[in-house]
Amino acid sequence: MAGPDLSALPEILESRPADPSELLPLLTMIQGRWRHLPQEALRAVAARLSLPLARVFAVASFYRSLSFQPKGERLVQVCCGTACHLKGARAVAASLEKSLAVRMGATREDGRVTLESVNCVGACALAPVVMLDGTVHGKVSGPGAAGLRL
Amino acid sequence: MPGEPDSCAAGGGVPAGAALPGEAGAGSRPRLAEPLVEGTVDGVRVAVPRGATILEAARLCAIEIPTLCHHEGLPPEGSCRLCLSETRGSLAVSCMYPLRESGFAALTRSPAVLEARRYVLSLLVCRAPRAPRIRKLADEYGVSPDPRFMRDPDGCIRCGRCVRACRASGPEAIALCGRGFARLVTGPFGRPPEACVGCLACALACPTGKIAFSERDGVRRIWEREFELAPCPECGKRAFTREQLAFLGGGASALCHSCRRRLMARELGKAAALEAPGGPALLRAL
Repeated sequence: MAGPDLSALPEILESRPADPSELLPLLTMIQGRWRHLPQEALRAVAARLSLPLARVFAVASFYRSLSFQPKGERLVQVCCGTACHLKGARAVAASLEKSLAVRMGATREDGRVTLESVNCVGACALAPVVMLDGTVHGKVSGPGAAGLRL
Repeated sequence: MPGEPDSCAAGGGVPAGAALPGEAGAGSRPRLAEPLVEGTVDGVRVAVPRGATILEAARLCAIEIPTLCHHEGLPPEGSCRLCLSETRGSLAVSCMYPLRESGFAALTRSPAVLEARRYVLSLLVCRAPRAPRIRKLADEYGVSPDPRFMRDPDGCIRCGRCVRACRASGPEAIALCGRGFARLVTGPFGRPPEACVGCLACALACPTGKIAFSERDGVRRIWEREFELAPCPECGKRAFTREQLAFLGGGASALCHSCRRRLMARELGKAAALEAPGGPALLRAL
């Protein structure tokens, strides 16, 4: 199976110093570019930073914002933290599952949308909160979320 | 003799050059040049080099503190939490808590320590209920597994001793991956570790005996991989894998441990004979 086109990878790798402390920044950039961490990219990161592949994989597998499976082109994150939970995050999540036609924590088959829950985005005053491609939308209502089409 | 650091207080033993570039060696092992600090462990007076840990001070007093993740030759991690002791009115991890000034007073068997240790053990025994060392400790402390946490009793307590052993003396082929209940020791991508050289450092370091390996017909199996064992050029016994010898580099020889010792003794004997009066003539006669 042919992997993703990684021709942009060397430029990303060389944009940061070859220092082990650059591991997380590089992984974040790769996640942003390919919406997941291709195996070959992890190998290239390990070689670039002179780190054992096992340690690169350990870091990559620890963070929830990094993934090994490709995420959708659009990312919808429902905050299920304490404040959002009390303000009806569950209803918002249920509406989004219907309107976007994808289960919580999954990517739609056409690869367009990923819907996931997050624990707190630090905007509790705006609860319930939904993040759309990194932008916070506050005081979301269940019926309002039902109108979202992606 | 207080202050005469024995092997436990003297500067540790990760082999030279074992640390990765840009990293400190075996953590903060106390140096012999450090001034002594005095205090007590369970009321026993002791002096240790500044920076020594509570665990090291306790061992100088012949006071036993149970440990699982601790290993003399590896950087401390404090992950098993079994060695908890009490100092300055709160709990401390004995294997990592450095004694910096005189007047310390550590307690290793106070009610608070024993209660905390029992709780820690009740969690560890959920992960490795069949490991002999864990069972012995659980019996000793009268602890049974907490059914709420009996999720995946796979025999691994996630102490990371294998990972540290692989980092110190091997290629760091394995790591603790994932997080929470899903955390486990594995090779990259959850597959058999491709960088592994089959040296057994991980299996020998594991406190619960979780890492299985076998040797048959000159082949060693570990981490779902197979390694051919190179024959000792003297006796033919197979002690090291070819990958291990290649990893060690510099023409590392496949001599087994007993042949290595025997040859070294012969060389030392020759050198001694050469220095003795009439030695060279004697050697020629032999």
